[in-house]
Amino acid sequence: MRRRGGALKNIVVCCLVLFFTVFVVVPIIVVFIGSFHQWNPLKGEFKFLGLENWKKVFGSELFWTSMGNTVLFAAVATFFRVMLGLALSNALYSRLIKYKSVYRVLYYLPTITPLVAVTFVWKFIFDPQIGLLNKMLGTDINWLFDSRYAMVAILILTIWKDFGYAVIIFLGGLYSLPRECYEAAEVDGACAWQRFRWITFPLLKPTVLFIVITSLISYFQTYIPVMVLTEGGPGTSTYLSSYLIFDEAFSKYNFGYASALSFVLFLFIAVMTALSWKISGNVQTD
Amino acid sequence: MQNAGKMHREKPAALVLNLVLIFFSILTILPFVWMVCSSFKTNAEISSLTQTFFPQSLNFDNYIQVLERFEFLKYFMNSLIYALVITAITIYTSAISGFVLAKYQFRGRRLLFAFILLTMMVPGVVTIIPRYTMMQTLGWLDTYKALVLPSMFTAFGIFLMRQACMSIPDEMLDAARIDGAGEARVFHGIVFPQLHNSVVSIAIFQFLWAWDDYLWPYLVIRTEDKQLLSVALNLFSGRYSTDYAGLFAATAIAIVPVIVFYLIFQKRFIEGVSASAVKG
Repeated sequence: MRRRGGALKNIVVCCLVLFFTVFVVVPIIVVFIGSFHQWNPLKGEFKFLGLENWKKVFGSELFWTSMGNTVLFAAVATFFRVMLGLALSNALYSRLIKYKSVYRVLYYLPTITPLVAVTFVWKFIFDPQIGLLNKMLGTDINWLFDSRYAMVAILILTIWKDFGYAVIIFLGGLYSLPRECYEAAEVDGACAWQRFRWITFPLLKPTVLFIVITSLISYFQTYIPVMVLTEGGPGTSTYLSSYLIFDEAFSKYNFGYASALSFVLFLFIAVMTALSWKISGNVQTD
Repeated sequence: MQNAGKMHREKPAALVLNLVLIFFSILTILPFVWMVCSSFKTNAEISSLTQTFFPQSLNFDNYIQVLERFEFLKYFMNSLIYALVITAITIYTSAISGFVLAKYQFRGRRLLFAFILLTMMVPGVVTIIPRYTMMQTLGWLDTYKALVLPSMFTAFGIFLMRQACMSIPDEMLDAARIDGAGEARVFHGIVFPQLHNSVVSIAIFQFLWAWDDYLWPYLVIRTEDKQLLSVALNLFSGRYSTDYAGLFAATAIAIVPVIVFYLIFQKRFIEGVSASAVKG
């Protein structure tokens, strides 16, 4: 019983502690300290500013716009991902459907393809001259350069890319549900909607919550579609928080201000995560 | 009689369900089909008002040009090597970390594991500024060291491997110890070979994530020759923004191999998704 390990254990534990300290803990501390400084890495500048950056963050219109955009984006994308996921997974679960695995493979395809490359394809799809979308819809919309539609375009791309993941996860959830419930319901003459409303949905609730929480967390951090498609524009209509941080840090090299921004985002996501854990904890103990 | 009635109701229902499912299948693959079709068109054909969905003729000029003019093959190889190296490293570090966290008693073990899981919640953009400064201070900008080092351990992989190691019985390890095997032998000789399912899951997802890496290489790598494929796409589109045909071919080069890889291993992918659910 030499379960205490010895050299191997010590080396691994040291490496783990060192790695996560250097690449996660120290950065968070540095970002916090940096947020009180005028910090420009190009000029080698690091000067104490007090609360200046923080005041600038909360007084900045762009910050509030970006937070509003981010919350809207995350809420809408999550909503459609969950709805499409539920609808299509239930359709696929039906015994009337053949070739289930073919559909599964197809729906999951967008999720596994590389985001940057796929975003370029969508850039063309949205293009008013050569694009596919206007042709199919019979519309004449300048998707990426009209402030009413740019966010819609980013949402379309995101939902298209991510719904398949929800379908697969929900389908996995459905297969793990007890068959007897459905047989009993069928004997009682419950229709499809009643079965979904009173059996499937309550049993799937933990899975739904899982998707909602992980989706919200990842959508609060979305920036790649914005970088490739709109760069925040037109105007400020597609500025998302993560893109704003990137823009302040690596276009303007305003590291101090960007640090304050990213610390706010960090706290926001931490609070959201803690809240949703609490809610999901309550649901599971119901 | 009752059965016949049921059949009667089921036929239209099956039709509607199938139509919905087929509709969404078309939506998912249409962008890829369009991309591949367009990559065979000429620029004149693409911008023409009478553009057809399928190309007039199958010519590979766009691909040849993209590879000659922009050396996409080099970026492709850079990405491939980078993704393979990251994948190999994380498989090993995840396995050995998962093993230690699952099979040894030591003070702070649960705390360490909870701490590792918590790091998954930290947004990437938050740590990127200090990480960049760190690499700058060390003088590591524009090296692959800066690219690989921050990705050497992944919380997701450690989580998966810890689960897998927990299911290996202690008696098996003790038997090897009685035979005189050291702890390193126990891990490499007995534990690691049993982790193949988790190795495959981690390999698939880690490879795709590395293939998809964008912001970090974009910031850290300065020399164009060392750049990765996803960043190169952006460079290409910035430089030849009107060469639609070229960019279609370029995106196809980045996407189609991934799709082929996916179709070959699709069963493994779908099985692995529930495992990847941890990362979200």
